[in-house]
Amino acid sequence: MMWFFKGIKKRIKTENLNDKYKIEYPSALEGKSDYNCPTDAIEDQKWIKEKCIFCERCDLKPTHNQDLYNINRNIPAIFKKSFYLYPIDSGTCGACNTEFDTIFSPQYDTNRFKIFLSNTPRHADALVIMGVYTEGMEKIIENAYDAMPEPKLLIGLGACSISGGIIGKKIGKKFDIEILGCPPSPYTVINAILKARGDVK
Amino acid sequence: MKYYKFGNKNGRYIGSNNKYDVYENTIASKIPENNAIIEKKPYEIYFNYGPSAGGLRESVNFSIVTPGETIRDITVNSHYKRRKIKIINDDINNALLKIERINGFHTASNTVCFLLAIEDALDIDNTGSNDKRIIEIELERIRSNIDVIKGLCESAGFSVPEKQLLYLREKITRIISDTFNHRYFFSANQINNVCGNFNKIRLNGIYDEFYEIYNSLLESKIFMDRIQENGIVNDINSSGPAARASGYKYDARIDSESLTYDNYNIYTMEEGDTFSRFMVRSNEVLASINIINKLLREIGNGKNNTEIKNNSGEGTARIESPQGDIFYYVNIEDNKIKDLSMVSPSYLNIELFKKAVKNNNILTDFFFVWESFGIWVSELEVDFI
Repeated sequence: MMWFFKGIKKRIKTENLNDKYKIEYPSALEGKSDYNCPTDAIEDQKWIKEKCIFCERCDLKPTHNQDLYNINRNIPAIFKKSFYLYPIDSGTCGACNTEFDTIFSPQYDTNRFKIFLSNTPRHADALVIMGVYTEGMEKIIENAYDAMPEPKLLIGLGACSISGGIIGKKIGKKFDIEILGCPPSPYTVINAILKARGDVK
Repeated sequence: MKYYKFGNKNGRYIGSNNKYDVYENTIASKIPENNAIIEKKPYEIYFNYGPSAGGLRESVNFSIVTPGETIRDITVNSHYKRRKIKIINDDINNALLKIERINGFHTASNTVCFLLAIEDALDIDNTGSNDKRIIEIELERIRSNIDVIKGLCESAGFSVPEKQLLYLREKITRIISDTFNHRYFFSANQINNVCGNFNKIRLNGIYDEFYEIYNSLLESKIFMDRIQENGIVNDINSSGPAARASGYKYDARIDSESLTYDNYNIYTMEEGDTFSRFMVRSNEVLASINIINKLLREIGNGKNNTEIKNNSGEGTARIESPQGDIFYYVNIEDNKIKDLSMVSPSYLNIELFKKAVKNNNILTDFFFVWESFGIWVSELEVDFI
């Protein structure tokens, strides 16, 4: 009971998504650059967002726009009722894991959007894969995906899983939702899911 | 190499990688490990948990030998997410991008230690960036220790303090983001320089908020009952908060010359249980806030002048990361990485965890013991190629 009152005393800490606090990196970049990008994220002076690790070394300027995602298919309407995510770490540095964990912090409180964590792929609607390809996790990811009920989604979270980033090889799967950034900020993760479900126009 | 030499064992044990055993002052050839296979008795089972399961942040597998309640033995299989990072023959700036991503949650410790080793190898005077780097690492320590205590609350099913600590962790992350332009210190560190607007660091509210949660947890009999006298370990070969929780005054802030701290007092406990590790980490959060506040009054925001005299050499560095000693060895030739070796604190912490968890514990104690060490598999399972 003591903790209940301590919790109440702190009042509501959850933020409105429209009042998002500003971050420079990672956010969409603009401009042109001749920089010889180590992840090939600049081709013909143009920015390729999927490959970018936001290392701040080129001449492209941050715009504070955190809508860094690709939605590659129509998402079934059933996921609007509730959406259970099962995260799986293929070969992360830990930053993506922590940002994913952060979406359930009081500031973001993702549960309010009917988005929850599942403890098993059997109860999950989407598999969230983070990190570069590793031999040891290949079969485990396959098994987790096979264990999920239909309809199911595959979400790639972070530059490593989508393009390999600067560390290694990408996960060899076609993602339904790609959430970009190194690591993606919590707002990017939430907005990508809400947009894919059609909650945000 | 100013601080280390190749030779035999000298000083306390820091840890090992696939090439070397590293001690306080020397780098020795690695003695092969004896990984005996655990045989179960007829009335026991192997209980497998992981590598992918709810409750695990990273991919790691535990094979627990148990008759049903107590943990008699355990094997930790951390190799599932082993990453091969191509870094040999990279130039220093490119290598830095990869070092930042060895352990993203502890990027500051990894990059600062790597750069200190580079500066040792190339004979660069780095005294100008010493205090800024300490601020950076102490900020990381506050966030990391809060995260470990949050993990303990989560294991106990204490949702209110867990969420309050998660709130605090995000608050620190935003301070880091505002100061260093990135939530995980990526691209903040350069040779003899830290890019950041240190005027944006304000920690006064954090001290009071954390102190209130810490005191409330100490008053909770249920929480104390869950973390006292579980996961007891006392081993001379230990490092970081786990060592200090067992009474060993091991701290690279005192016994390493790579980063120079001014009058740091080591906080220790004697019992070596999960509660002691909780106490050490909590008190270090408060100590880190005081260190940062003191240094903020003394530093400027200007860039340091860097004179690079050599483009080849060997260098080492050892600093106190939030989980314990972290060590880097580099060999540079024509500004390119010829050889690189790292010893992560998670190496010793996993060994300590294995000893602690089978010391009269039951399966429900498992999560408390695991969380209390703050182990990161990402920094352990890395091959530099």
